[in-house]
Amino acid sequence: MSADTVIRTEGLVKAYGSGNRRVLALDGLDLEVQRGEVFGFLGPNGAGKSTTIRVLLDQLRPTAGMAEVFGRSPVDGGVGTRARIGYLPGELAMGGRASAGELLHHLTALRGGRGAERIDDLAERLTLDLDRPIRGLSKGNKQKVGVIQAFLHRPELLILDEPTSGLDPLLQHEFLAMVREAQADGATVFMSSHVLSEVESVAGRVAIVRAGRIVDLDEVATLRHHAGQRIELRFDAPVEPAPFAALPGVSDVEVEDSTLRCLLRGEPDALLKAAAGHHVTRWSATDRELEDLFLDHYRMPVTPEEVADDDR
Amino acid sequence: MTAETTDHAGAASTHSAPPAPGSPLEQTGAYRGAAVLGWVLSQHRRALLLWGLAVAVVAAIYVSFYPAMGDTGELEALVEGLPDGLIAALGYDGIGTAAGYLESTVFGLLAPILLLVFALAFAARLIAGEEESGELELELTAPVGRRRVYLERAVALAIAVSWLGVVTGTVSLLLVAALDLEVAAWPLVTTTVGLILLVLAMAAISYAVGAATGRRAWALGAGAGVAVAGYMANALAPLLEDGAWLARLSPFAWYLSEDPLVHGLRGAGAAGLLVVAVVAIVVGLLAYERRDLGV
Repeated sequence: MSADTVIRTEGLVKAYGSGNRRVLALDGLDLEVQRGEVFGFLGPNGAGKSTTIRVLLDQLRPTAGMAEVFGRSPVDGGVGTRARIGYLPGELAMGGRASAGELLHHLTALRGGRGAERIDDLAERLTLDLDRPIRGLSKGNKQKVGVIQAFLHRPELLILDEPTSGLDPLLQHEFLAMVREAQADGATVFMSSHVLSEVESVAGRVAIVRAGRIVDLDEVATLRHHAGQRIELRFDAPVEPAPFAALPGVSDVEVEDSTLRCLLRGEPDALLKAAAGHHVTRWSATDRELEDLFLDHYRMPVTPEEVADDDR
Repeated sequence: MTAETTDHAGAASTHSAPPAPGSPLEQTGAYRGAAVLGWVLSQHRRALLLWGLAVAVVAAIYVSFYPAMGDTGELEALVEGLPDGLIAALGYDGIGTAAGYLESTVFGLLAPILLLVFALAFAARLIAGEEESGELELELTAPVGRRRVYLERAVALAIAVSWLGVVTGTVSLLLVAALDLEVAAWPLVTTTVGLILLVLAMAAISYAVGAATGRRAWALGAGAGVAVAGYMANALAPLLEDGAWLARLSPFAWYLSEDPLVHGLRGAGAAGLLVVAVVAIVVGLLAYERRDLGV
């Protein structure tokens, strides 16, 4: 193992229950995250993302296989390992009469006081009112508290479970800036999401997890290319589908009267030029989401045209 | 209270290059002090004050009633009308004396009930309840060991129970002195210790079951089950021909038998309660360190 591997799992299995009711939350998960990268951990709800993360933090004990953080198992590394991690839980629960500021000061006290001096700055940056009691905070404001406590002590490893849920777009933007800054400072970031667009602007590599296994692992740009875009073009008169279907990167062409829908992977140039031969009255392009990627993964076998398109 | 102590452990090394795995620098930013304990107590300070007030009021009312009822023989007359078995079951044998009255009302019934209601709920909440709600997750994923979290929260429980016990004892002591009742101070102090130990033993069972299972309902059920069974065993034992063995099994009997307000708390009884509390805490810890959290 390289000394620069921050997170590593091999054949990680986590089972709950026994006999007929045995459920595999993780089913042989292999993962390797290198120092300094922002790693996206993507999958639908229930795929095993949070289970993996909670094994890394020694909340859950693996049934089989191994997990290492900074070269040690979460159990052996214990307190020393967790001192180097900042963690944002996926389901953040906080309550009580304490104010947000009091809670954040308490959480830094659990780390020997590290990061207490940054509380005011980060609260201002995310526009969190530190004097309000936790129990009265909205979901979005609680999420801000969660984000702040994860970043406060400038951890070497940030583990962020669905970090942008509950944050409005402006704050998502600020949050992503914080992730980039942490990376620039040398931190490793491991963030989970069920939406590709949430991680794609910051993540380098992305692993896709489904049913407790990694089903795909690639650069985020490659995944985006695989996912492609849904294109809809409306013309002033009905068109023939055949010329469009023959274009490079275009597939799944459907024509309904004067409206053409298709799937585009790669550059739109050829499609736009072909469309320009007609009178276009309306057009839209939508990035496909992760759900569509999963559909592709399970739509076997892949058609030869698609393979040809992807290998271009 | 040493809460919120902020040590800057190894601050010098914090900003240097990331430490190699296994190096001593890994301890940087580790937890010191008793922040968990301080936090738990400060989170519940309002509840602790209100419960203290309630316990004080109840104890004060019952103690002040004695001169009006017990001293005049009215209570004794009332009790004499009851069947012998019921008198024994209610612990009213000595109700004609101030010590007997206090023993069958404040220390034998009301304080145990009030303290147990608070302590079992608090014990079940401290680990299991906050785990079910998810509130404990940030603490457990911070660089604080599970054992540390468990033990500091157990200390918070012990402090809370002791506080309510001390309120009971202090109010009783003050009123006994003010009203010039015939209850000696030392037995009253040791009986207060017995009350605290009794409630701690039951609360420790709730705490441990909660820590072992992560289920608040099971935690509550275990503590309340033992408390009710123990109370019944102590109350019914005098009614049985050979009921002594039943009483020997009851934590309530360990605390209340042989009139602690007259003779002082029995050492063996106190030891028994302490052993139950300590064993429960240790067993709970062993289970807690081994299991999956938050599932």
